[in-house]
Amino acid sequence: MMQDLTAEEVERYADGEIAPESLPEIEAHLRDCSRCANAVLGVMQMKRAVRAAMPRFTPKRPLVLRKRASQTFVWFAAAAALIVIAIGSEMLVLSRNTSARELADLHSTILASANPIDVVSTDRHTVKPWFEGRVPFAVNVPDLSATPFRLIGGRVVFWHGRPGAYLLVSKGAHKISLFVFESLPSLGSTPQMTIDEWRANGLTYVAVGDVSRDDLEALRRAYGG
Amino acid sequence: MTEGPTFEALALPLFEPLYNYARWLARDAEEAEDLVQETYLKAFRGFGSFTAGTNFRAWIYRILRNTFLTSRSGLRGTPQVSIDDDPDRFEGLAEAATPETIFFSRANAAALQAAIEALPLPFREVILLSDVENFSYKEIAETLSIPVGTVTSRLLRARAKVREALRGSK
Ligand SMILES: [Zn+2]
Repeated sequence: MMQDLTAEEVERYADGEIAPESLPEIEAHLRDCSRCANAVLGVMQMKRAVRAAMPRFTPKRPLVLRKRASQTFVWFAAAAALIVIAIGSEMLVLSRNTSARELADLHSTILASANPIDVVSTDRHTVKPWFEGRVPFAVNVPDLSATPFRLIGGRVVFWHGRPGAYLLVSKGAHKISLFVFESLPSLGSTPQMTIDEWRANGLTYVAVGDVSRDDLEALRRAYGG
Repeated sequence: MTEGPTFEALALPLFEPLYNYARWLARDAEEAEDLVQETYLKAFRGFGSFTAGTNFRAWIYRILRNTFLTSRSGLRGTPQVSIDDDPDRFEGLAEAATPETIFFSRANAAALQAAIEALPLPFREVILLSDVENFSYKEIAETLSIPVGTVTSRLLRARAKVREALRGSK
């Protein structure tokens, strides 16, 4: 008969970590030796008791992972507080709330002003060159004629010290602000306004409007996102 | 070209277990959410460096744990002196075989929980990973970046500490 199990063997046996080739000998010993069998039983009981005693915490908010071509969105849904956006290889951690509300407020402020846009044109061939020299990047103004969206015009905006292109787009009676920046400071979300962000052609786009998420996704597609 | 499983396929089912583990590490609901959030970010960003076919669970738990250790409360809660992983010097069997162990089956769950919560992190986490999350020693070793032998000795000592605490609380 083999010697008593070492303390480590007792542990490993209870954890199911004994190498298969050693099992027969150990199990034979456990059948004959009440001392070792008691020790193993003690560890097994403890394992079971621990599992039963430790409450399992569940997150209050569900996690949603959404994949689009070249984009993965990771966020805790149903709450404004924590939003993460993965954009291509670049990931932006969208911190709590404030930035999204700022952009939503900017959207409302521009729409409420007497002259919301500086270049008024539904012609993208007019709007695109207007931005040249005004913002440090080329602004992509796609053809929206096959979509329910209409370009109204554009202007330059500054947000957190960054120059951006602002495009005003309509869908029926609704107005959507499309902000285009080279890179995006932390954003969040806001319960009042639908916001969508994406990255295309090396630029970050943020669309804000009181329209549905589907609408903003359609606009995103029109803009190559 | 064969493609391995997507990040989502591997990571999504682990959301709740990861949160549970984060909650036990951080002992705070909001911090646990932040930890999980950051873990998913890092894991997504680093997914290219994950080798398909190796253990994703251990990989992402390791990210979570390292994120915790470098967080403020992780730094606060981690002993600056490394714990003694010297395996022997341990009359484990004699101790484990004493009749007191039998009362675990009826042990007051609250006392057991308190005993585990009071353990230093290195002991608390091996018990959580082994007994609550059902990790194999190999997975625990990968998660904690320690040898498998150390997992064994650390579990042994962790359980002895719990026994001690329970005996003291009776
Ligand atoms: Zn024996």
